[in-house]
Amino acid sequence: MSISQTVEAAGNGSGSEFRRGVTSCAPVLLGTIPYALVLGAQATQKGLSTVELSMMTGLNFAGGSEFAAIQLWTSLPHMLLIVAITFLVNSRHLLMGAALAPFLRDLPRRKVFPALFFMCDESWALGLSDAKQRTAAGITPAFSPRYYMGAALAMYLTWVAFTTLGALLGPMLGHVETYGFDMAFPAVFLVLMRGMWKGVAAARPWLVSLVVAALVYLFVPGAWYVAAGAVSGLVAAWLMAGDA
Amino acid sequence: MINAATLLTIVLMAGVTYLTRIGGYVVLRNRVLGARATAVMEAAPGCVLISVIAPAFVSRNPADLLALAITFIAATRLSMLPTVLIGVAAAGLLRHFIG
Repeated sequence: MSISQTVEAAGNGSGSEFRRGVTSCAPVLLGTIPYALVLGAQATQKGLSTVELSMMTGLNFAGGSEFAAIQLWTSLPHMLLIVAITFLVNSRHLLMGAALAPFLRDLPRRKVFPALFFMCDESWALGLSDAKQRTAAGITPAFSPRYYMGAALAMYLTWVAFTTLGALLGPMLGHVETYGFDMAFPAVFLVLMRGMWKGVAAARPWLVSLVVAALVYLFVPGAWYVAAGAVSGLVAAWLMAGDA
Repeated sequence: MINAATLLTIVLMAGVTYLTRIGGYVVLRNRVLGARATAVMEAAPGCVLISVIAPAFVSRNPADLLALAITFIAATRLSMLPTVLIGVAAAGLLRHFIG
């Protein structure tokens, strides 16, 4: 059943719009659960308590940045580095919010600001594609806030619950390196990057980042390789945009 | 068990993340980004992610490098869950048998 058919079947009842959002998010939730468990387990290996991990996933609610933060976590966290990396990983939200903005014009700001707290890759993609399909089907308003919140809250509760469960189970798993669980990070990151793939030309800054980060990692002590790699990739993107 | 430095780091992370979520709506909704700014914004998440995992690419352990190669190939073809399972299994088994 296409989304537009579902809209007609569901009518405009607010409860059914919310349910429609939850339902369309269900396949994504299944893929999220193992990812959440791995993050929670890895966090406890790095010395975070379960409460701290739950606070991080509940207040920050942005998986990519949380994986990066946990990867970089030390007993005394490099606060500025982690916050800067969090901003860089999540800077895509700026573009996502800008793309969603035209559909939010008729909503009061007191509703938009809380709703945007729950904007993640999945809820954004579902909400935006639903709004575009409703536009094509002539349904107004195009953006269904309850559909979006259904998808967003389902993601949020799943993320916080299963990262917490992962933290609770983490100590029982022992040291992750022994089993190869640490390879989950490159695996998750590489799949995320494939999702962002827009061709070889657009990926050239990533290669610059990889080479610079690897060299700095080999020759400079500390966690500077992340910042050095990220910044050189961004400079490369800026320079390469000129001849694209 | 909440450590003060940890709490502050988490609160600051949450703050900058929320700023990225509302920033696009507040600042960019009535503007069009230039080509260079768009290119930098689109490249940024990937640049950060690859930088974080860069050490895995220069590991001195052949088992880890082989496991990374297998994970890389899986990531170009499969979805999240199978890729993670293959990566973890490959790293665990190769470390066990190659060392």
